[in-house]
Amino acid sequence: MVSDLRVSVQENDILKGIDLRVEPGRVHALMGPNGSGKSTLAFAMAGHPNYVVNGGSVKIDGQELLELSPDKRARAGLFLSFQYPAAIPGVTVANFLRTARQAVRPDDLPPAKFRKLIFDQLELLDMDPAFLGRYVNDGFSGGEKKRLEMLQLAVLAPQYAVLDETDSGLDVDALRAVCGSVQALRAEPENKTGFLIITHYPRILQYIAPDAVHVMMDGRIVLSGGPELAHRIEREGYDAIRTEVAGGVA
Amino acid sequence: MASLSLEETARGLSPATLDALVESIGEGAVSLDARREAFARFEELAPPDIPSGRYWKIDLAKQRYDDVVVQLDSHAASPSVAHVWSLGSILKDGDPELRATFDRVFRSTLDLTREKFAALTLAFQNCGAFVYVPAGIKLSKPIELTYVARGAGIFPYTVVLAGEGSECTVVERIVLEGSAPFVCAVAEVVAEPGARVDMTSILEPGAGRIFTTRRAKANRDSRLRWSVAELGGDLVVDSLHASMEERGAECEIGGVFFAAQAQHVALETQVDHTVGETRSETIVKGAATERGQGRYVGNIRIQPHAHQSDASLRDDSLLLSKSAHIDSIPALEIAANDVKAFHGATVGAIDEDEIFYAQSRGIPRREAERMIALGFFEPALARFPEGTRDHVRAALEQKLPETP
Repeated sequence: MVSDLRVSVQENDILKGIDLRVEPGRVHALMGPNGSGKSTLAFAMAGHPNYVVNGGSVKIDGQELLELSPDKRARAGLFLSFQYPAAIPGVTVANFLRTARQAVRPDDLPPAKFRKLIFDQLELLDMDPAFLGRYVNDGFSGGEKKRLEMLQLAVLAPQYAVLDETDSGLDVDALRAVCGSVQALRAEPENKTGFLIITHYPRILQYIAPDAVHVMMDGRIVLSGGPELAHRIEREGYDAIRTEVAGGVA
Repeated sequence: MASLSLEETARGLSPATLDALVESIGEGAVSLDARREAFARFEELAPPDIPSGRYWKIDLAKQRYDDVVVQLDSHAASPSVAHVWSLGSILKDGDPELRATFDRVFRSTLDLTREKFAALTLAFQNCGAFVYVPAGIKLSKPIELTYVARGAGIFPYTVVLAGEGSECTVVERIVLEGSAPFVCAVAEVVAEPGARVDMTSILEPGAGRIFTTRRAKANRDSRLRWSVAELGGDLVVDSLHASMEERGAECEIGGVFFAAQAQHVALETQVDHTVGETRSETIVKGAATERGQGRYVGNIRIQPHAHQSDASLRDDSLLLSKSAHIDSIPALEIAANDVKAFHGATVGAIDEDEIFYAQSRGIPRREAERMIALGFFEPALARFPEGTRDHVRAALEQKLPETP
């Protein structure tokens, strides 16, 4: 749950009071034009040091995340899928996945089951097992990077996942594979992951149906609604909404 | 051979210690003359030019050698080598055919008008190995050479001759024990046409002063790889040169060093493309933490007419504390036109974006830093033989600050 979150970057106010509540197992879409502050919200929630929180709160089950270091936020159940994930040369995907799983869910899965989890996901994501021996995001194509983000999502099975522009730069096959992995996670009976899908194209929402859609402009959520809002954005574009919202205020 | 009636060590690098060494090993007067001449050369020559100052604090010109205790018993220094040779014995008593083979390599790669520490090894050589792989022989297992400095001075001399079309892997370790070991080592490698040689030199953790001169020549269509790991030593000065002498030769040089505490590590590599249609690739990963100081000089020399040479040099330096420092100095001398040459270098701390990314996956900051720092060495470690990688990784990990 996010309430009245205000964030600045290099002394520029970007988020001007965000309120958002995502329930377990639900999918919320956060849409908006470029520069509206969507990615800032994602980074601020995850605790990137360049994003200065000036007020507000981000909570999971009543626990305040804003006081925690980024790794503790992850261990509290938050996952961020990066739009541009960093490369870590020399650290293999296998080692990274194992270390992350151990940090977030220590010793909860026997090695054989962990291995099966990873290989099942590789298949879902249409990835070669040789991928595990490569260095994290080092020399990866755009599609490979997003696939690795989804692989981590599945391995960590967080309470809440923020997917930042996961659809950008993907061709249809990659998008389908990436969304298939999210659908598979959601289909597991015990899974209650709540999703916040950040995107400016409605395309990804054809694969992962949202329960609610929010529109963000200039650091504020200006409109919220059901799935039909995404269709409207596709038909009319953001400008129509901007005009309507401005008219409403005036 | 060592004689039990004699003292096992002698103090100070001096003509008197040379006399004691020659007597202990049982070499004759010819050897003594050659050793004395080499020692005179050592005393005349200037050390490599490493300017001392704010970071690098050791002045090589002011090193004193009167406190070095020389190990007179060769077997103590080379426990892994069954037949310990000394220069005198192989030159005097060796079988003439073996001697001729040996002479194809011995001193052939050195420049004794310049190489001060190679001259010192020639003077005090008290252990070593001659590895000869005859033409066409392909060894499936690595040859392991271990030299142990037990608080005393050792002067190992390794000679490797890989005959035409042969294949071998040689792992050379220098083990440092006790409070003030001193090591001055030479290794010479010659790859005959079509040979494949995989050399690995590991300086194990420990105290002491270590000077190494490593030289290689690669002949037609041969492939030579030399990987070095500098883990120990208070002062390490390592010079590794590989020369491609004939067409089709390829050299791959890999180096890792990690200067921790107050370690000073200087590594210099040089690849010489003396003829064209030769290829070299150099990758060096150096890190420093605490007050560790590193210095890397990477030379590429492409001679006139060495057209279609292909050389690449990649060196990266990782600084893990404010007082740690690494100088990285590339030097490309390219005298031919039709060549490919690449150089890339980075110096810096661990990237904050990488740390944040790992943290966002639940990995605590210190653990993320360790993981990323260890990963930094991997592209160079990937060139080490399978059986040595885990060992080097573990030693590097030991040097990283503890996770709280």
